[in-house]
Amino acid sequence: CARALVFGGNVIASETGLSCPDRYKSSKGKEYLTNILREKRRKIFGLIERPVLPPQVAADTASYKIFVSGKSGVGKTALVSKIAGLEVPCVHHETTGIQTTVTYWPVKLRDSERVIMFRFQFWDCGEAALKKFDHILPACKEKLDAILLLFSFTDRSSFDDLPNHMLRSVTDSENIVKVVVGTKFDQFMHTDVTEKEVQEFQLTWLLPVFRMKSVNGPWLSDGRTLDGRAGLAEVAHLLNALAERLWHQDQVAAGLVAGTSYAQEN
Amino acid sequence: MYTNTLRKKMEDRAVHLLCLTASSGVPLYCRSRGTSQKQLPFPVIGSLNGVHMFGSNQDVLLTTTCTENARVAWRVFHSSITLIVLTSDDCASDLYLGRLLENVFNAMVLVVGLDDLINIKNVERLKRDLRASYQLIDSFLEVSEMVGDLVQCVDCVLSNNNGVLQSCLDAFTQAAESQFGCLLVRGKVVVATEKWWRLSAQEVMLLAWLVASLAPCSSRDYPIYLPQGSPTVPHRFLSFQLLPGVDVCVLCGPTPSLQEVENELVERFWKPLLEPLKDCLRIQARAFPGCISLHQGIMGLLLINREQKKSLYTVQPHAGEARPESTLSAEERQSVLRSFYTLAVSRYFVSEDGEDKSMSTQEEFQAGFSHRGKECYVVSSDHKCYGIQHEQHQLFLLFKPEVPTFALRNITTKTLVVFTKELPFC
Repeated sequence: CARALVFGGNVIASETGLSCPDRYKSSKGKEYLTNILREKRRKIFGLIERPVLPPQVAADTASYKIFVSGKSGVGKTALVSKIAGLEVPCVHHETTGIQTTVTYWPVKLRDSERVIMFRFQFWDCGEAALKKFDHILPACKEKLDAILLLFSFTDRSSFDDLPNHMLRSVTDSENIVKVVVGTKFDQFMHTDVTEKEVQEFQLTWLLPVFRMKSVNGPWLSDGRTLDGRAGLAEVAHLLNALAERLWHQDQVAAGLVAGTSYAQEN
Repeated sequence: MYTNTLRKKMEDRAVHLLCLTASSGVPLYCRSRGTSQKQLPFPVIGSLNGVHMFGSNQDVLLTTTCTENARVAWRVFHSSITLIVLTSDDCASDLYLGRLLENVFNAMVLVVGLDDLINIKNVERLKRDLRASYQLIDSFLEVSEMVGDLVQCVDCVLSNNNGVLQSCLDAFTQAAESQFGCLLVRGKVVVATEKWWRLSAQEVMLLAWLVASLAPCSSRDYPIYLPQGSPTVPHRFLSFQLLPGVDVCVLCGPTPSLQEVENELVERFWKPLLEPLKDCLRIQARAFPGCISLHQGIMGLLLINREQKKSLYTVQPHAGEARPESTLSAEERQSVLRSFYTLAVSRYFVSEDGEDKSMSTQEEFQAGFSHRGKECYVVSSDHKCYGIQHEQHQLFLLFKPEVPTFALRNITTKTLVVFTKELPFC
């Protein structure tokens, strides 16, 4: 079934084949989003802070660790910055060591009045440090819930390498949600990967592929701050997909829902 | 309008930093600040390096020079890395340029380690590795609100809640199996463990600047080399963003993992201190709490604890509504205070231990006087400055021009008493 995913009053994206309920009602969605926005800007939360929801909404927080994986320069840090509503660095610097970023994403379940505050922690690390220091990769993979496998639309080899990349990064694939993200979709003039190839990949591997721009979204009128709402709209489809898959995985693990993997079910 | 032109003027002061291998003169990187972000032409880089190399072949050490519109300083580190800085900022002193080059080299050691800088096996790889130090290096080229780069003593914030923050930090650091812990607010130290203060003053400053220069994130596990304490063996530098702008850092060995510290310790120790931490954010620009009120004529303050290698630095010394109108913009006040500090320490308060190597290369007549001053002042049309040096402290104050010159000494002495006798910044 094709269903318009409505969020914050705007139709963000149309998704097909989602078995999970669509969780966003226009008015409700807006209400919950105010907790992660402040006057059109994204709120940034420190580790000892939480978004404050209205008291009548009994929101549970569900925390997940997500490892962002991909070769050097593919746009891992840029992707995480976009998701968190931070500025995408204008020049590429290799990330030194591990860098984690927490993002909150409020979701209302369709079948109930429950609101779940998803707390995604993205783990990002640069390749040089990963090779030089032994502790970094195990630290990133410890108690992992999901992995984002990145390739760049402007780098053919990163796409071709995806199957190997998967084998290398995921050892026990059972309980880890896998999502593929194609970065630098903004540079479509230089794209090295065709739409057809992406479709084929999705069918072969039963993995969703998301397209992401690796540049900053619109700015507010002051010209210095990023427009939080517009920025969220650009990443909402990915956050929704992660939320749905992680939630589903938890339900399966708790024995509440039958089924093996999300992809096979669809 | 006025501040806009001023800002433009300050940005126009271009700074170019060149890093080359000392043996072959291969450029490793160039960093620039200012509107003329254009890279220096290759022949200019070659000449700058060439003239220095020519000198050293003749047993002449070329340290600095100035032309009509630029100042240049050279420095070779460990006979392996040459750093050259070229600036159009005519206020840049030799003292500042010397310290800038030292900071830059230390930043390189911090990120890639001394071994890779001394034994350069693969230039291309070193170039790539050095990219990770760009953010920190660039922060030294920018006009900063901090002064630690110049005075080599870390910028601190004096909070009303230092006691409770200190004990929490000590307990947190211990729980993280470390003895080195530090709480930072926008790159300034609020409290640090006793062992942290035993790191060299430059290391304490560099680590604070490192956190301030990196893009904000929730937590990080960053391999660092300590330029003095451990230049060849890396340590893990963990930092956790408690609130945007407030980070707690620990230096540790192979354990515990980032995740363990974050999940088990961060909230447990720091959540009860949410309000004191928010308070640190509120006072950070002023650097000390609202209960201390200073003379209304003071526009800026720089207090240095020479023993503990800490500094308090602010150009907004008055809280809230009590803020008097100032003839100078914040950037100008910073610039004047930095210049006054430089003048004072290079001419009058020359340090006895001779730690400053740039001094030793000066001619005798340039080094000022045979005796050492204890106090000095400057009077100009739009500001006045007064500096005092005691055994343990140096205090530099920037005054409005209306304050009578004969009162400067009295106000400065009284201000020093406020900070040294009545407050924990001793």
